[in-house]
Amino acid sequence: MLTYIIRRLLYSIVVLVLASFLVFTFVTYSGDPLAGLRISPNVSELTVQNVIERKHLDDPIPKRYLYWVQDAVTNEFGTTLLDNRPILPELWRVMKHTLQLVLAVQLLVIIFAVLIGVYSAIRQYSPFDYTMTGFSFLGLATPVFWLALMAQVVVVQIYERTGHRLFPIANLSDVDPGTGIHFWIDRAHHLALPVLVLMVAGIAGYSRYMRAAMLEVVNSDYVRTARAKGLSERRVTMKHALRNALIPLVTLVALDFGTILGGAVVTETVFSLDGMGLYFINALLANDPYPVMAFLMITAVMIIIFNLVADIAYGLLDPRVRYD
Amino acid sequence: MRNRSVWLLAGLVLVASLIIGPATAAPQKATAGTVVFIHDQEPPNLQGPWVGNNLYATALVLNNIWYGCQIRDATAAFVPRLCVARPKLVKSNPLTIQLEYKKSAVWSDGKPVVAEDLYATWKVYTNPANNVISRTGWEDISSMTRGNSKKVTIVFKKIYADWESLLSAGHYAAHVIAGKTMNDTFLTSVPVSSGPWLFQSLQKGVQITVRKNPRFTAGPQMKLDRLVFRYILDTNSRFQALKAGEGQVMEPQPQLQIADFMKDSKFKVDTKVGYTYEHIDIQFGAKGHPALKQPYVRQALITGMNRAQVAGVLYGEIAPGLPSLQSLLFKPFETASYKKNFAARPFSQKNVISLLKSKGCTGGPDTPSRGNDKIFSCPNVGKLSFRFHTTTGNQLRALTFEIIQQQLKSVGIELQPRFQTGGVMFGTTLPSRDWDLMLFAWVGSPSSSITAKDIYGCGGDQNDGAYCNRALTKVLEKVSATLDAGERAKLLNDAEAKYMVKDIPSIPMFARPLFVINQNKVKGPVVNPTQEGSPWNINQWTTS
Repeated sequence: MLTYIIRRLLYSIVVLVLASFLVFTFVTYSGDPLAGLRISPNVSELTVQNVIERKHLDDPIPKRYLYWVQDAVTNEFGTTLLDNRPILPELWRVMKHTLQLVLAVQLLVIIFAVLIGVYSAIRQYSPFDYTMTGFSFLGLATPVFWLALMAQVVVVQIYERTGHRLFPIANLSDVDPGTGIHFWIDRAHHLALPVLVLMVAGIAGYSRYMRAAMLEVVNSDYVRTARAKGLSERRVTMKHALRNALIPLVTLVALDFGTILGGAVVTETVFSLDGMGLYFINALLANDPYPVMAFLMITAVMIIIFNLVADIAYGLLDPRVRYD
Repeated sequence: MRNRSVWLLAGLVLVASLIIGPATAAPQKATAGTVVFIHDQEPPNLQGPWVGNNLYATALVLNNIWYGCQIRDATAAFVPRLCVARPKLVKSNPLTIQLEYKKSAVWSDGKPVVAEDLYATWKVYTNPANNVISRTGWEDISSMTRGNSKKVTIVFKKIYADWESLLSAGHYAAHVIAGKTMNDTFLTSVPVSSGPWLFQSLQKGVQITVRKNPRFTAGPQMKLDRLVFRYILDTNSRFQALKAGEGQVMEPQPQLQIADFMKDSKFKVDTKVGYTYEHIDIQFGAKGHPALKQPYVRQALITGMNRAQVAGVLYGEIAPGLPSLQSLLFKPFETASYKKNFAARPFSQKNVISLLKSKGCTGGPDTPSRGNDKIFSCPNVGKLSFRFHTTTGNQLRALTFEIIQQQLKSVGIELQPRFQTGGVMFGTTLPSRDWDLMLFAWVGSPSSSITAKDIYGCGGDQNDGAYCNRALTKVLEKVSATLDAGERAKLLNDAEAKYMVKDIPSIPMFARPLFVINQNKVKGPVVNPTQEGSPWNINQWTTS
């Protein structure tokens, strides 16, 4: 196992180096990061030249890449292009916010998806199963940005008609969020709408996996044997079927977790949540390659780590899996 | 197994709590004197006009902290603030200016605003180590009064026509910035203020809060207790947040959603045409289409575009009656200077066809027709088919293109779309001069006409269309050294009518309208088309 992990980590370093160089090259070629500065009235050539020299913008791309690697390794991803802001403290801040969102979404999605998936499987072709199947397809087919906008419209309409604001529709906290428990209640209130929006697609997807895995398990020989031994249906379902049916879902959740830590870009933008996704969009809009690179590297590392976690978890949960 | 699961869950919760960390302390509780101002862009820091921070969003926060000798009101006229009266022009050669600060002009820490503050500000802008966005004007100063005097005399090395704007810029507090490395100062807070509000807090990614400066006596004090700038990137969300009462004031870009607020009795919408204007630049250089070097082709282009119709279609609902722009040098807002010089080039599709035919062009239609697909070819310059560049992701520009493409196609001129991201278009394509026509906006200011030589003068820094008329350039150079605003306007209008309307270096489309929307319970906000923004009159804002 240890050898396997070490080998995977070594591969990952190679993947990261190659990915970082390719991404750096593409980001660099995507446009002139000083375009905005050049067309600003009264900006002197000296000002533009200072930035070019500070960030080595007139060097060839491989050399610039090496400067970036040096910054990333020794100077915590360095600073932003124009105003020299340190990148890492900002990334930590937005990562915390994204983690709050993602943990809440994943936890609720797993609970609901498992319940729906299991119940749909043991009551296959029942009205509940058909209804949930219908909702799942609807949830999977609905674009998140549209759902987010509609959720905002509904909240605003309710506010305009009743004067009662169910949920805040933007930002992470109130103007005066308070401290301690009040702060966290306010935060939960602000995250409620984005969490609900993200839950729709999550539950739709995971519940289908759960249903399929459960159906496969409940029709297997060992479950039939458990029933033949005279165990109660509840015990058969919870103790024998569910635990085995959860294995593919655990793997899937671990794989997804790494990806969504990169930020729910659309949801964070629509709800103006100060997370990884919004940070990425702002960096792109500012045409600043350095925070974009830092974001992409952190996301890549997360994905690699959680892929490894998924593989390890799969091996731990399923004794048939062995690593060479 | 169950115990293991419980421990695992507890461990996860503990790790998550450590990562997420403790909450930051909250500012004071909301009071009736709080107004929330929703804005699209968050200032990256509080440095002011620094490289990477030359943003309107930053100016909105800092204008009322670093106050100027005078500010521009909603008509863009100068109004004294820290100064007793508007600065006086004492001598033209060398240019010498005198100003006097009010006795009541004090910093929020009790120290008086004095000559040393303006001197320190001058040194900040001229220090080559500081990454200020622009040193224009400051570097033309040769000497200035120092010390604790309330009276200041400024002598320039050469004539700087826009000296009044320079003295409207906010002053730094000399006693606060002494010994500081300015590139690393005021990143997250500003300790003092000479204006009506004080910086209170910054919650990165969410909001900036400013509160009333109780020591401000150089002018009327704020009636509000505080103003909170809340940052929402998404356009729809900003409008929804305003409707949901999460904010009370907003300065939106021209968007169709504004029409809803115009009909809603709970909101007030104020609008005014601003200084930023959309135009179509024409390429005169070697990489541009050879036909564009022919005056009759440029004349055909402007005559074939119904610019009034474009403005009507784009802004009919939210700014009815928005006129097309008839000058490249002044905006309709500048009533004293604006002359409709380009009205001499009225829309006429018939005239385009007869003009092109009279120059020997062939292959085009005989009469204007919507379904026409015949394109003119002209002697020695080929087919009148032009690459048309503009930015992606801007619906109004896309619509502008579609309308004028159809209008010109009707008269036998073809436009081929070349949409690019702003970064590529402004960073690569525009300076490369490898384009024919380009639609974009110049962000203008009350002083833009003084520096028109940069855009329309031969070899101007921002003259990427490679247009050159020596006689015009001479006039534009004279303008930049003319101190009298009335004389400057006359020189510019005469030159525009005489040279630019004939040469057509660029096609003016329209000046963008500006908007302020506020809940009715907030009184006071009105559009200020300058960098001051709507909070220029914050002392008049109230909320019930």
